[in-house]
Amino acid sequence: MRKLEENMNTNFVVNIGRQLGSGGRQIGQLLAERLAISFYDKELITLAAKQSGLQEEVFERPDEKSRYTLTGGLLGLKGPALDMGFSRNYLWNELLFKIQSDVIRELGHEKSCIFVGRCADYILREHPRALNLFINADLDDRVKRVITNYKLTSKEKATDLIERMDKRRAGYYNYYSNKKWGAAESYHLCINSSVLGIEGTVDFIEGFVKQKFQLQ
Amino acid sequence: MKFTSNPTELGQEKVGKLLLRYALPSIIAMTASSIYHITDSIFIGHGVGALALSGLAITFPLMNLAAAFGSLVGAGAATLLSIRLGQKDYDSANTILGNALTLNVLIGLSFSVLSFIFLDPILYFFGASGVTLPYARDFMEIILLGNVITHIYFGLNAMLRSSGRPEKSMFATVATMVINLILNPLFIFGFQWGIKGSAWATVISQTVMLVWQLKFFSNKSGFIYLQKKTLKLQKKIVTDALSIGMSPFLMNAVSCLIVIVINQGLLRTGGDLAVGAYGIVNRIAYLFVMVVLGLNQGMQPIAGYNFGARLYKRVNEVLKITTILATGVTTFGFLFANLFPEAFASMFTNDKELIDLSVNGLRIVFLSYPIIGFQMVTANFFQSIGMVGKAIFMSLSRQLLFLLPCLLIFPRIWGIDGVWYSMPASDLISSIVAAILLVQHFRQFKHKEQEEENVTKEYREQIELQPNAKEG
Repeated sequence: MRKLEENMNTNFVVNIGRQLGSGGRQIGQLLAERLAISFYDKELITLAAKQSGLQEEVFERPDEKSRYTLTGGLLGLKGPALDMGFSRNYLWNELLFKIQSDVIRELGHEKSCIFVGRCADYILREHPRALNLFINADLDDRVKRVITNYKLTSKEKATDLIERMDKRRAGYYNYYSNKKWGAAESYHLCINSSVLGIEGTVDFIEGFVKQKFQLQ
Repeated sequence: MKFTSNPTELGQEKVGKLLLRYALPSIIAMTASSIYHITDSIFIGHGVGALALSGLAITFPLMNLAAAFGSLVGAGAATLLSIRLGQKDYDSANTILGNALTLNVLIGLSFSVLSFIFLDPILYFFGASGVTLPYARDFMEIILLGNVITHIYFGLNAMLRSSGRPEKSMFATVATMVINLILNPLFIFGFQWGIKGSAWATVISQTVMLVWQLKFFSNKSGFIYLQKKTLKLQKKIVTDALSIGMSPFLMNAVSCLIVIVINQGLLRTGGDLAVGAYGIVNRIAYLFVMVVLGLNQGMQPIAGYNFGARLYKRVNEVLKITTILATGVTTFGFLFANLFPEAFASMFTNDKELIDLSVNGLRIVFLSYPIIGFQMVTANFFQSIGMVGKAIFMSLSRQLLFLLPCLLIFPRIWGIDGVWYSMPASDLISSIVAAILLVQHFRQFKHKEQEEENVTKEYREQIELQPNAKEG
């Protein structure tokens, strides 16, 4: 336990929230390379699955897959009323969130790392050395990136996906944390990656992180 | 779905043992509340009279509706609370507790005021006649006076459960039952308060346990306790809680609607006493239904976890064991209702006509009970493994989609028996639908089961590789 506390005084964590197609994941990866610390995005799912004995796809469901198809398809109930409680299967998702947050907390207390998404900023809110960032980008840039990353065929499909994913991420974050997704007061730094480009944004954040944690 | 320790035990421990451990607390709580209602009816039936039982039956839908509004706040707030407690976020948890209390007071009060103003028209609509209305009104007036207390009591009990003190919540449930059991005969036979006495017994027993709950929640050494500053409503908490509570609310509202249609149908075809007979049949049927619901709650985490871990053999095992137990319970009900219906009915009343009506109702309503356990477990099974659409469809099919048309058509052809037969008919159709959906499900999963052996091996290795995962 003492060792852990010492760790937490020298270690630091950077939590990144991001819009779909903002380059947030890439920025996080580059930043981790430059600072020579660990990077966790989807890797968290693998760890959570290992820890709990559950399959990885179980964890992907709440934030990646549509939770509306089943109910919507069968009963034609798209309204929030019947959908909300049942299709999200709250109690079950609550357990999945608990398992993931245990993993995040363990890693965050063990070493310096960068987390992308999954409410890591809320989960690690008691961490003495944590920086919380949010990355957005201009819509055009996001659409372009999403088309390449997801191998989509049209702009419309990309815009559609962006809308849906942002909504889902906001829903997940606002539900599980006590803060608001994408709102300036929820983070220490919000930055539009279109302004400086990916590399430039990484440079900027690197300086910010180094100054805060007094790294050279 | 609570996991007290490492969730991996759900993938390793013997299925039967797990089911017993997870289901037993739910079964006890569910049975206690069912016995509560049964004893109420028994005292009213013997102490006040046969027509008073009809008056009581007319209040069921209104009581259901009150409970629906309670679950609108309670279910949502309890879920939010356990998320925050899981993150050791005690500040947010306390705010949720305070907000839930305020919401309960607001909704409870509004419900009372509105129901009070329109009490007579509401009761007439719910199946009252000039003869039974006074009983229903006498009972309801007192219940509505205490409605805010009822709301807070149930709300705080849900909070107790989700704050990791299920034993406290169970104690409160059982204690209310016992106090009610003592006060009911005292007020009805001792003080001759009639049906009002039973209502007072309910309100007082809940008040006593509410005081006990408040004492528990004002202990500042606990993790969460009531604070003045948390009472102010926060928009985010209110909308989150209400949107989670919406589906349990709607399910309860549906059951309220159905009871109204049943009451109206019985009043039209069989008169006031037929409504009272439904009161008796309903109380007894619920006792068995509640045990199955308790089993279902125990099955959920076990089926859910093993499905997520792809341990399909264990998923099938828990489904099989739960179905067998549930069918056993409901078949037991079927046998009793058909072998000794007079014994059941005369528990509640001495009135010959009411006994005859109830015996007829019991015989018919319980006809489908040997198969209904299967239907209920299957619906819950689909919910456990995340196929929620199917689960909602199946719950609604038995309680609304097939039942409502039957209730509207059958009585016109067969009179009072038509009302009774609607219930087993709807049970039968929805059980057939359940069987079809289940067979379909297993066909789809057959090929996946062949992967099972590899996955089981993989799973064992995973678990063994990280024996100290929970430490550190």
